[in-house]
Amino acid sequence: MAKRNVDIAVIGGGAAGLAAAIRAKEKGVENIVILERSEDLGGILPQCIHTGFGLSYFKENLTGPEYISRFLKKAHDLQIEYKLDTMVLEITPGKEITAVNSVDGLLTLQAKAIILAMGCRERTRGMLGIAGTRPAGILTAGTAQRLIDIEGYMPGAKVVILGSGDVGLIMARRFAMEGTKVEAVVEILPYPSGLDRNVVQCLEDFNIPLLLQHTVTSIHGSDRIEAVTVAKVDASGKPVQSTERVIECDTLILSVGLIPENELSQTADIALDSVTGGPIVNEHMETSVEGIFACGNVVHVYDLVDHVTQAGELAGESAARHVLNPLPPLTKKITLRAGDNVRSVVPQIIGGEETVTLYLRVKKPMRDVKVTIGNLTIPKRVVKPPEMVVVNLTEQALEKLEKRDELKVSIMERPEQ
Amino acid sequence: MKKREVRVITCIICPIGCKAKVTIKNGKISKIEDVECPRGEEYATREIEAPMRDFFATIRIKGASIPVLPVRSTQPIPKDKIMDCALELANIVVDAPVKAGDIIVKNPLGLRVDIIATRDMNQTKQR
Repeated sequence: MAKRNVDIAVIGGGAAGLAAAIRAKEKGVENIVILERSEDLGGILPQCIHTGFGLSYFKENLTGPEYISRFLKKAHDLQIEYKLDTMVLEITPGKEITAVNSVDGLLTLQAKAIILAMGCRERTRGMLGIAGTRPAGILTAGTAQRLIDIEGYMPGAKVVILGSGDVGLIMARRFAMEGTKVEAVVEILPYPSGLDRNVVQCLEDFNIPLLLQHTVTSIHGSDRIEAVTVAKVDASGKPVQSTERVIECDTLILSVGLIPENELSQTADIALDSVTGGPIVNEHMETSVEGIFACGNVVHVYDLVDHVTQAGELAGESAARHVLNPLPPLTKKITLRAGDNVRSVVPQIIGGEETVTLYLRVKKPMRDVKVTIGNLTIPKRVVKPPEMVVVNLTEQALEKLEKRDELKVSIMERPEQ
Repeated sequence: MKKREVRVITCIICPIGCKAKVTIKNGKISKIEDVECPRGEEYATREIEAPMRDFFATIRIKGASIPVLPVRSTQPIPKDKIMDCALELANIVVDAPVKAGDIIVKNPLGLRVDIIATRDMNQTKQR
């Protein structure tokens, strides 16, 4: 079988992959190919028909299809090659890619650089361990979204939503607007997992009850789901049996988290972060394998596509530099470790020389805090788990930063002034 | 006797998310508490007096690769008109091709907005 040589192979043609391919092409790399598993480019955006995209990147309020069309058009104008319906089976640390589709059959590519942009997948019922029967009518929020807004099917008439992630909240509103009754959104934590904006505009606007510190303890029904048992949970997250009640429904929607999709990263022996589930990357979005870069939800799950686009551009730029004029390795490697109230930090490795944007996930909401990175202190008004904390390390900040091999990133309350 | 009501409005202008306590007397806002800035006050006032929302939905399309076309309103519409507007669009069917930005419904319910397509849809066989 003939092996084809490419400069950059981008795996995944969603928001991250498109931004990466476009930027790499703009930087002068000619031989780029995007390998996309689904039948269209664009990733998840075409099914996100609501507004709220692009507020930071374009300073405009766009719907998902409108946001992604700008990148599709640019990729088209730049004549970036892509292969649809193409499943990548394996990548090696030597940057050889094996993929398959119905036109080329099995194909092998040898790339100078690879950009991983495979996105993430939704957690499913099997990963939750809810007791009860296994009837039809239990779907993830993203599947429901695809059914309603791409396939044109309404999956149910009476819905309970487990988990208050953004996709779940957005689907609560879509169901309500289409005349389907949403009985409740059930969230195990004492606060919603989604953005405030979505709690207000998706639940409060439609009088949908949000049951905080509650969970689904059992599923009922034989062929089709008929009801769920819902209970309050105590401080340790354990259901309190005396509070159990049954809610009738014909559909249970799960919005219980997203997981970066990294089976391929593992075939290339790329080191993964056990907390984010994505590759460990440095400030160039380069993984532990030289010449393999990663961006978007495959690295860690973002809340705004605008940030995904920026990460894609950074990865595209770095991959272009790698191909055209190899990137010098970082002279210093500073590993960032999550400290107090920090769940994860991306990038995990910085050089301490170039300005860089850090994205942090916090464990719990806090007000009037300081973010500390080694000896640096940056004040923030509020931090919340659903909203990524963005910290820009400017030149002035980097000058002050003590460049140790390892620095702890923590978020602590500031004493009142 | 004066009618007095207190409503709590979560401000969504910035990530702080102030819970504005709005006191309404005889249908008029008399006091806004617990907001940290004038933008919060403005938001809470608007939410009480005339809340507006972006409108988006899908409508049926014939002759395209998928059976539904995503649409939006050109401007936000009053919050209490969302369901009316959704019903107004429920039975509309359009034919492909459609271009993003094409007006699908002009001035529905006299809301002074248009409903436009948010995606190109070519004429093709359904897959």
